[in-house]
Amino acid sequence: MRLKNGIAAALAAGMMLGGIAAVPVAAGAESTLTYSWPRNSGVLNPHLYSPHEMVSQAFVYEPLVKYRADGSIVPWLASAWEISPDGRVYTFTLREDVRFSDGTPFDAAAVKANFDAVLANFDRHRWLELISQIEATEVVDEYTFRLTLKGAYYPTLYDLALVRPLRFLSPAAIPANGNTADGIEVAVGTGPWKQVETRLGEYDLYARNEMYWGTQPSFDRLLVKVIPDANSRAIAFETGAIDLIYGGENQVSANTFARLQANKSIWTGISAPQATRVLAVNSGRAPTDDLAVRRAINHAVNKQAIIDAILYGLEPVAHTLFAPNVPYADQGLEPYAYDPAKAAALLDEAGWVQPPGGGIRTRNGQPLRLELCFVGNEAQEKAIAEVIQADLRAVGIDAVLVGEEKSAFLSRQRDGRFGMIFNNTWGAPYEPHSFVASMRQPSHADYQAQKGLPMKAELDAWISDVLVSVDEEARRDLYRDILTTLHEQAVYLPLSYLTSVAAARPNIENVTFGATKNEIPLETVRPATAR
Amino acid sequence: MLRYILGRLLALPPILLGVSLMVFLLLRLGRNDPALDYLRLSQIPPTDEAVAAARLELGLDRPLPEQFLTWLWNALHLDFGHSFVTRKPVLDELLYYLPATLQLGGMALLLTLAISIPLGIWAARHRDGLPDQIVRGIAFVGVSAPNFWLGFLLVLAFSVWLGWLPPMGRSGVESMVMPAFAAAFMSLSINARMLRASMLEASGQRYVLYARLRGLSERRVVGGHVFRTALLPIVTAVGMHIGELIGGTLVIENIFGWPGVGRYAVSAIYNRDYPVIQCFTLLMTLIFVLCNLAVDILYAVLDPRIRQGQEGRL
Repeated sequence: MRLKNGIAAALAAGMMLGGIAAVPVAAGAESTLTYSWPRNSGVLNPHLYSPHEMVSQAFVYEPLVKYRADGSIVPWLASAWEISPDGRVYTFTLREDVRFSDGTPFDAAAVKANFDAVLANFDRHRWLELISQIEATEVVDEYTFRLTLKGAYYPTLYDLALVRPLRFLSPAAIPANGNTADGIEVAVGTGPWKQVETRLGEYDLYARNEMYWGTQPSFDRLLVKVIPDANSRAIAFETGAIDLIYGGENQVSANTFARLQANKSIWTGISAPQATRVLAVNSGRAPTDDLAVRRAINHAVNKQAIIDAILYGLEPVAHTLFAPNVPYADQGLEPYAYDPAKAAALLDEAGWVQPPGGGIRTRNGQPLRLELCFVGNEAQEKAIAEVIQADLRAVGIDAVLVGEEKSAFLSRQRDGRFGMIFNNTWGAPYEPHSFVASMRQPSHADYQAQKGLPMKAELDAWISDVLVSVDEEARRDLYRDILTTLHEQAVYLPLSYLTSVAAARPNIENVTFGATKNEIPLETVRPATAR
Repeated sequence: MLRYILGRLLALPPILLGVSLMVFLLLRLGRNDPALDYLRLSQIPPTDEAVAAARLELGLDRPLPEQFLTWLWNALHLDFGHSFVTRKPVLDELLYYLPATLQLGGMALLLTLAISIPLGIWAARHRDGLPDQIVRGIAFVGVSAPNFWLGFLLVLAFSVWLGWLPPMGRSGVESMVMPAFAAAFMSLSINARMLRASMLEASGQRYVLYARLRGLSERRVVGGHVFRTALLPIVTAVGMHIGELIGGTLVIENIFGWPGVGRYAVSAIYNRDYPVIQCFTLLMTLIFVLCNLAVDILYAVLDPRIRQGQEGRL
């Protein structure tokens, strides 16, 4: 008997400690849009990084200018801007009808206070070139703000469009010492949503910002449930526990999405290209130091087959490092067509001899063998690597698959121990400027892949020039030279353009895609009209 | 008895120290760099400066022995550092999530006992008969089926097809049924088989024969003599099940979106959040060791033979 009592007591203690939490239920006629994300956001701070989730920051905080899917920059909190002829002074005219959700007016003083709060933590943000370039911030008049740079840095507007760190918190919510890095009490922005509640491990709750200057969200509330697992998310969607699946990698697996696409009652959509799924090919290492081998690789891989078989046709095929909708990237470069015979001819010509009856080619006794590196536990990358291996084998190239843990994989990217390695681009609005800027740094796979090129020094000089170019035409020419060289030297094997996918249950409609993967315009979503 | 308990408690610090050193070294054995994971989560391009700044911020730039000693010194003061990912104190976060896990684990333990004991008795009473075969079949499936697979099957059946139970979340007793059952299934299968075996063993004992000879009713023989003796191994097993169940919730919590330490730990492992992994392992070790100790004490209390044997030794 004592035993039974003991167990009962232990259980009772467990239950009491537990205390069952309730998911918020909308009061009365309040409408709620339910979405999910793998992690909580916590109290959103526009000027900090993890654990503040970028998608949530974009719900609450807004930029001066916004990036569009076609690569253009459009006015947002700033209605207009002027750039001085030397490219160093940016003068922004602010919208006059904007208020923070606590009623504080959005004006030049608020902009300056936020810039200064970011600059107070210079080291944390120095990864962003614009931060290092800022010389002065200045309130010209109530609705005019001036930014002075140390040098002409043309991507300034692109960096201002980023989700962080240069978005705006209400001056009333900035701590008295002006420093937001040690935490803030409340998240108050100008965006379409305001944060209401956050429960660790369960959900983040937002309400419509009644003071929003733009089009008001149709839903009263936005509930973001914490669901880390993609399969669980799919089940939650199918059982109606969430209304919407939306996002890039990790929201939903490709095969689940393909299944949802087949369901007629569910709306599904695929975004425009948002980044590139690409492998870097190492020009600094044998045998890929041979241009013929790199070109042969580009001709030997059947990209469309990979997309159809492994990616369920969800991603458009990529022939260049950047998608044509990336600024300056539409250079009309000629694709490397899938042509195994041409690949074989290139290799024959370069002296890589295939033994009679097929098999691995050799030259001067050296086998044509390279290491193809991927993250071991990413099933999709592994499957793609296996197809590439088979395609290369067909033309006599032996690709040895190396699947490792993410960190070990990243360190290979950094020190160049690879023949080919997965190396996705960073996506808008980091492209092309931030991505090409990083090609000059030895710790990047791009640098490692390019370091064997005879014109690497020249390439780096062009990149340095393009970032400070003031003349639009000169900039276009430099980008043409950079992208053409990279393409002709075949140091990349672009496979496809990464996209976001969305699936909506029949109770909602008008789901639209943002220009970058971190900006999800849920304010456009409406309750479905009766059918 | 008191000296025995004290001795066991004194062994606890060396165990915890050993475990923390081992975990610390294992984590740092690979070519892993949490700074890169931190940047990936923060979506900061991993430039050289950014990696260096992140390593500095996370304290990863210092030599290993210094890192460990600093961690140990702080841990002695119950400061387990800040999570690399959430930047909040690790202990606070773990304790925030712990009640949900204890609740799920408690429910799973309750299910284990409530289902396995009747099954075990039923099987033993009908040795090699149909009930025994049925229980054998259940146990075979229970021990072989991975709990996450079972979890998804349950969701498919009860949420997707039948729509009876919520697929995830922590919203009431109904949200607990499936995760608790999925976590408990293996333990209850083992338990049922074990109870069957020990019941059969106990019924072969002489005192059971004597009880029958004394003309006691079958009900009293089985209930008072066979079952009570057979329950002892179950007590030991329960101690292990508690560990198993809490370990099992690691995966289960991820599937059912249950906001407990298991889910927190799994994402910490995924993101190489060293301080969280270290603190979590210690917490689990502590729970495991204390459960075993509690079982040993309970065992002594329940079984006069052991109690007397120990007192004779002490």
